[in-house]
Amino acid sequence: MDVQISRRRFLQGSVALTILGASSLTGSALLDEGTKDKVGDGVRKSVPTLCEMCVNKCAAYARVENGKVVKLDPNPHFPKSKNMLCPRGNAGIQALYDPDRLKYPLIRVGERGSGKFRRASWDEAFEYIEKRLVKILDEEKDNRSTIAYCAGEGMAEHTFKSFMADKFGSTNFVSHASICLQTTISGYALTIGGYGQADLENAEYVIMAGANRAEAIVTPDTMDLFKRTKRRGMKLVVIDPRFTNTAVHADRWIPIKVGTDLAFVLAMTYVVMTENLYNKKFVEENFNGFEAYRDHILKNNYTPEWAEKITGIDADTIRTVAREFMAHAPKAIYYQGRRTAWSRQDFQLRRAQAIFTALGGGIDREGGIIFGKKLPLGEHSINAPLYANPKSRIDKKEAAIVGGSGTWIGFRNMIVENRTPYPIRGMFVYKQNPMLSVPNTQKTRQMFEKMDLVVVIDTMPSDTAMMADVILPECTYLEREDPVRSFGGAQPSIVLRQKVIDPMYETKPVIEIIRGLAEKISKPLFEITKKYDEDVQMEIEDRGEEAVYKEDGFDLADAFRVSQEEINEHRVVSIYGKEAYEMLKAKGVFYPNMEQYFKQISTNEYEYYPKDKRYYSVIKGELKVDVHDTCIDEKEIAVMKKRFRTRSGKVECVLPSMAKRGVDPMPTWRDELYTETPKGKFKLITGRHAQFTQNATQNNAMLLDLIPTNYLWINKRVAKAKGIDFGDWVEVSSKIGTIKIRAYPTEKIGPDTLFFIHGFGANSDALTLAHHNGASDNAIIEDVIEPVFGSAAMHETIVDVRKV
Amino acid sequence: MALDYKSCINCKACETACKEENGVLLGADKHRIWVGVKEIEGEFPLLNIASNTFYPSQCQHCDNAPCQEVCPTQATYYDENGVVRVDSDKCILCSYCMNACPYDARYVDDRTDTVDKCNFCSDTRLVRGEVTTACQATCLTKVRIFGDLDDPESEISKVLREREHFTLKTHLGTKPKLFYLI
Amino acid sequence: MRMQSMIPMKQVTLKDLLQFEKRPLSIFMVLLTVGLLGLFATGAILYLMHGHHAYNVTREHPWGLLIAMYVFFVVSSTGLCIVSSLGHVFGIKEFEVISKRAILGAIVTIVSGFAVIALEIGHPIRMVIYNILTPGFTSAIWWMGTLYGAYLAFIIFEFIFLLRDDHKWSKFFGLGGLLVGIAAHSNLGAVFGFLVARPISNGVFYPIYFILSAMITGSYLLFILYGYKYRLNFPKPIEMMLKKLAKVLGLLLGILIFFEVWRMMTAIYGGMPGRADAAWHILTSPNFLIGEVLLGMLIPFIIILKSKGEAIKALVFASLSGMVGIFFMRYDLVHDTQLIPLQTLKIREYQLPPSFVEYMPSFAEIAIALGGVGLAILLYFLADKLFVLDSTKE
Ligand SMILES: Nc1nc2c(c(=O)[nH]1)N[C@H]1C(S)=C(S)[C@@H](COP(=O)(O)OP(=O)(O)OC[C@H]3O[C@@H](n4cnc5c(=O)[nH]c(N)nc54)[C@H](O)[C@@H]3O)O[C@H]1N2
Ligand SMILES: Nc1nc2c(c(=O)[nH]1)N[C@H]1C(S)=C(S)[C@@H](COP(=O)(O)OP(=O)(O)OC[C@H]3O[C@@H](n4cnc5c(=O)[nH]c(N)nc54)[C@H](O)[C@@H]3O)O[C@H]1N2
Ligand code: SF4
Ligand code: SF4
Ligand code: SF4
Ligand code: SF4
Ligand code: SF4
Ligand SMILES: [Mo]
Repeated sequence: MDVQISRRRFLQGSVALTILGASSLTGSALLDEGTKDKVGDGVRKSVPTLCEMCVNKCAAYARVENGKVVKLDPNPHFPKSKNMLCPRGNAGIQALYDPDRLKYPLIRVGERGSGKFRRASWDEAFEYIEKRLVKILDEEKDNRSTIAYCAGEGMAEHTFKSFMADKFGSTNFVSHASICLQTTISGYALTIGGYGQADLENAEYVIMAGANRAEAIVTPDTMDLFKRTKRRGMKLVVIDPRFTNTAVHADRWIPIKVGTDLAFVLAMTYVVMTENLYNKKFVEENFNGFEAYRDHILKNNYTPEWAEKITGIDADTIRTVAREFMAHAPKAIYYQGRRTAWSRQDFQLRRAQAIFTALGGGIDREGGIIFGKKLPLGEHSINAPLYANPKSRIDKKEAAIVGGSGTWIGFRNMIVENRTPYPIRGMFVYKQNPMLSVPNTQKTRQMFEKMDLVVVIDTMPSDTAMMADVILPECTYLEREDPVRSFGGAQPSIVLRQKVIDPMYETKPVIEIIRGLAEKISKPLFEITKKYDEDVQMEIEDRGEEAVYKEDGFDLADAFRVSQEEINEHRVVSIYGKEAYEMLKAKGVFYPNMEQYFKQISTNEYEYYPKDKRYYSVIKGELKVDVHDTCIDEKEIAVMKKRFRTRSGKVECVLPSMAKRGVDPMPTWRDELYTETPKGKFKLITGRHAQFTQNATQNNAMLLDLIPTNYLWINKRVAKAKGIDFGDWVEVSSKIGTIKIRAYPTEKIGPDTLFFIHGFGANSDALTLAHHNGASDNAIIEDVIEPVFGSAAMHETIVDVRKV
Repeated sequence: MALDYKSCINCKACETACKEENGVLLGADKHRIWVGVKEIEGEFPLLNIASNTFYPSQCQHCDNAPCQEVCPTQATYYDENGVVRVDSDKCILCSYCMNACPYDARYVDDRTDTVDKCNFCSDTRLVRGEVTTACQATCLTKVRIFGDLDDPESEISKVLREREHFTLKTHLGTKPKLFYLI
Repeated sequence: MRMQSMIPMKQVTLKDLLQFEKRPLSIFMVLLTVGLLGLFATGAILYLMHGHHAYNVTREHPWGLLIAMYVFFVVSSTGLCIVSSLGHVFGIKEFEVISKRAILGAIVTIVSGFAVIALEIGHPIRMVIYNILTPGFTSAIWWMGTLYGAYLAFIIFEFIFLLRDDHKWSKFFGLGGLLVGIAAHSNLGAVFGFLVARPISNGVFYPIYFILSAMITGSYLLFILYGYKYRLNFPKPIEMMLKKLAKVLGLLLGILIFFEVWRMMTAIYGGMPGRADAAWHILTSPNFLIGEVLLGMLIPFIIILKSKGEAIKALVFASLSGMVGIFFMRYDLVHDTQLIPLQTLKIREYQLPPSFVEYMPSFAEIAIALGGVGLAILLYFLADKLFVLDSTKE
């Protein structure tokens, strides 16, 4: 059996982290950090930490007075978050002190989904889980993959994931990627070798299509883009069916028909090809399949006139934007986009975008898409056991390429439609709310209803928590230290989230939850493995049970007995030394030479790295032109021949391997993949708002004060024709459901499109403020799948609206 | 305080920061700071981008403050730094100042039943020795420059010398000290 | 009793105080008064329990019905004071008869006004303290409050000396009261006039407007007081006086209407932003058209015009209408000042851009406002029992 070989190989390479010290939790020393002074008769201190109100992880100082967090302030040391805290970051205190928080473990007493739970001790909760797992895995002959797991993005996501994958042994993981940015990441990776980072600080021309940086905050992009943008002369073209707050800052706003961006990019490419506007040297050195691509574009006649009919953007505008872009190239970026779960043609769109930027030469250089450098962290390996029985993930065939993060819609629909090769009987949910975040809530509910064990680890009694058998309360980010993290980029750094106050109520950080659970289930589950796993049986015969259990990693708790603080210390000290670690703890941020480099330039500006020490170009390559010659055309610098992290080491215009999977090797517009909007109906689009994070802030009093509920954007004239006034209740219905919402007639959206902010409309009545506040988009967004990487295609739903 | 208002993205971080820092109660009209938005002009798809600007605002700390002038008990006063402040022990909640302030900068704090407004974080941050306000510090696009107008060498004085700027409702003669940089 | 030697009072027992003629109108009045006082108490309790939350005043509309009611009372008071002074201060013969009753009315109305404003202001006690400790000399409200305080003192003395038939001193205090009252009154104009932020309210017109409308109010009130007192069977001197008063009233109304037309014209054609639109809004509101113009001015004016000032019985009723109109005049004055929002931009995503500010008084506000009227009636009724109000000549 090849499993055995791989186990041997694996064991050789793995270093059990437990070597570091099997000691129990050491009291953390962090409370001594930061500044301290007296307030009244108590103590005031300031603890550097990281925000986790969204995915950005901005650096913050938490001001604590007498054990209470009273204020979160921006920490200027982090080059990624650049001394700011957004409204949600400021409102983190409300999440910490939300009276509706999960406080104790809960065990379901009513029907699944009824929301009836009883308070339980941690031990009871673990015991409940243990009993169910033992039963299921015994029945499933130790096929660990029958227990699936999912997780939202977060600093501790990896801890949970490594427990479920490496220790517990399940292959069925679904992350947020397939409802967020999977397709783009992959599209860029296959084309230019990575998703990269748009250097908006130095770019001179940016096309931002379907990315709303003023409201969907991404660091440092948001700050780089808007901070005195106009004054430094960068041109911004915003392409969005809605007039967003980003469009407010645009030099040009181009409303596009939903789902037609690919035609727009192809037509711009056509202009560039026919007018020879591309960076010839860069293309010559760094493109693979350029000729084929040019022929493809020309042969298909992707003219601006052709695109005008599809996109609704007039041909002249397409020409102008293409020319302007290339005139500013290589400091010109077609922004990659972030949440790119849009349409069926997303993959080709992202490829076309990447190639378009590359045609100007703006890759791996200042002002273009950069890859930057990432500071390494010390090894942290886990002694992972090898199981013979877990089967590979179920959703492999739901799209052309399904990677380790899965396809949420595909995965769920297989279960609901009874198409799985083996039953999925349980699910562990960490920091994710698929009931509200995955299109077609009804199906997600059906999926959970089919399971024998649902465990939800959350901070709030979310809609998904309501579907659980056991709810395990995690403490919030301000009450825990999370895995230390390194952020790459032109100005890389390492950051640490430190515990600000002790966990409230009976909540625990996920690492401790896992430790407790692992201690409980480890032995009983090993018994099952022993029963069904022949390899393990053989090993035991050879070496004895105790040795196999311990040495081969079947002690599931071993990797989690060390405290997070110790792990972090080890990972930093082992590479940068003790002083670096102290610095990291004191400032929340560390990078080599920080003391020297970091300085405040003015009230509003800091310098992190001197300009010449930044990592704009990192891909090794040979220089063809003498860049020291100051007379040289800026553009010529891009002539460097590089080795991209793609298969050929070049920008891949053609992906022959994709053809085998039924995917066009070159970006091709397919009418049959485009959803027309029938006359009188609307296409529903979704997105964000600056004062809300997806579903995670829906019960936050401070943020609800700013944006009390969501409204339906509907074109003013259409609304008028339908007799809909501001604030009227309307019903929006798709094939799969109907929601009620108030109307916001506005000229900021076209007559065939509707929009409302994602993140409202919770059903859980344990959420006092969020319960039935506003509408949830995923109740009506259909479960359309993007066929290449299996992302959700969220803007393919046709809806109707009527006044009620 | 000077505002590079064209950088504002209407995220309202400043409003949240102010509320958290200064313990402003929640509620629709309880705010010391806000961003005004003019509804965009035009019809889809021909919208006038320039017509849609964000105007972050707060108490203007007028040099010639109508609110101070009308206060019967001198509850509203200029402090030693020229900051217009309210002494909540003296305020009788006659609401005259709320009617008199041309900028809608004042509201009633329901805990003390007195009038409250932006005080440049004087009793919270500045008194702790911090050098800037909560709204300035938190801003994503760094709209605000806070500093000493009397010091010709301060950053704000320099910026105001170098860049064109305007104030709101200047014709009323209130001499606002919130400068909008063009 | 010592008191009685200083202030002439009738010998009355508590029982007397509670007695009244058992006639339908009186019974109605008593029930009305008790009802209104009940409302006052309810409103006051609501205020004590919930503070300003009991009121519908907002950031956009910080002054509400109670301020209007206060203005209504103080203007009534000044009006009565001015009209009364016609007789004993300026010696216009026909008006001498009205002095005591008018001054009493002035006292009663301003006391009621103070009672109402005490419940409007957040911290009335603090006001008394800091009005003295840290006076805001630049504040029209400070001046108004202080002057009205002094005014009340003056007219109380005036009343006492009138009761004692001491014409020298009553004339002295009467004149003082009048002057302070007018000063206080023009300060009331200034309270609104100084609102630079509110173009509709500031202008030279206000102080004159206040005096004018005060005199009209005083006249209306006298008609009502005497109408009630004599059940429309006026003795000769009273009839003479009222007829004369009617002519004066007609003249005043004429001037007011003239002024009002110009106020609106200049506001609308002045082209000042925040003024023209507000004026137009006012001009088309029922409060103004029906309340102020029809009830407050036209009905009384037409009756006077038609009868050449002879139909004084009809004028008693017209004065009731007039007082309702005057109430709207005060209410609109306060409300219209705040009509145009100071914040003209929208500050939340999902809201309409601010337009005219709306305001609807809360129950507590209405209760206190109406209760204030009850208070005035009660005080007047009690005073009527305690003091000899009619001149011996009658
Ligand atoms: N405040 C805030 N910031 C956040 C988040 C948050 O929840 N709140 N979430 C974070 C996360 S996880 C992510 S992934 C990012 C998301 O960042 P973005 O991807 O920038 O955010 P969305 O709002 O999803 O943006 C989608 C935009 O695409 C537009 N759009 C819809 N259909 C089309 C189309 O066919 N063509 C074009 N060109 N545009 C279209 C929508 O109108 C919308 O404005 O934001 C991050 N930042
Ligand atoms: N219709 C529609 N669907 C979307 C999107 C959209 O724009 N429209 N956006 C998509 C995108 S880009 C993304 S990234 C996904 C995000 O989808 P999810 O990953 O499901 O994120 P949220 O919906 O914010 O739910 C996060 C959950 O984590 C919990 N939580 C917060 N902090 C903690 C913590 O510290 N510990 C634990 N254990 N739990 C915590 C919250 O209470 C909440 O229940 O949604 C996608 N779905
Ligand atoms: S962008 Fe805002 S919510 Fe997200 S991490 Fe930064 S401060 Fe927190
Ligand atoms: S924090 Fe800055 S960008 Fe955000 S709304 Fe306030 S001023 Fe504007
Ligand atoms: S803005 Fe208003 S509250 Fe502030 S000083 Fe000026 S008048 Fe006073
Ligand atoms: S409400 Fe307070 S601060 Fe304002 S004028 Fe009256 S007493 Fe002064
Ligand atoms: S300066 Fe301070 S008090 Fe004033 S708005 Fe900013 S945060 Fe609030
Ligand atoms: Mo996302």
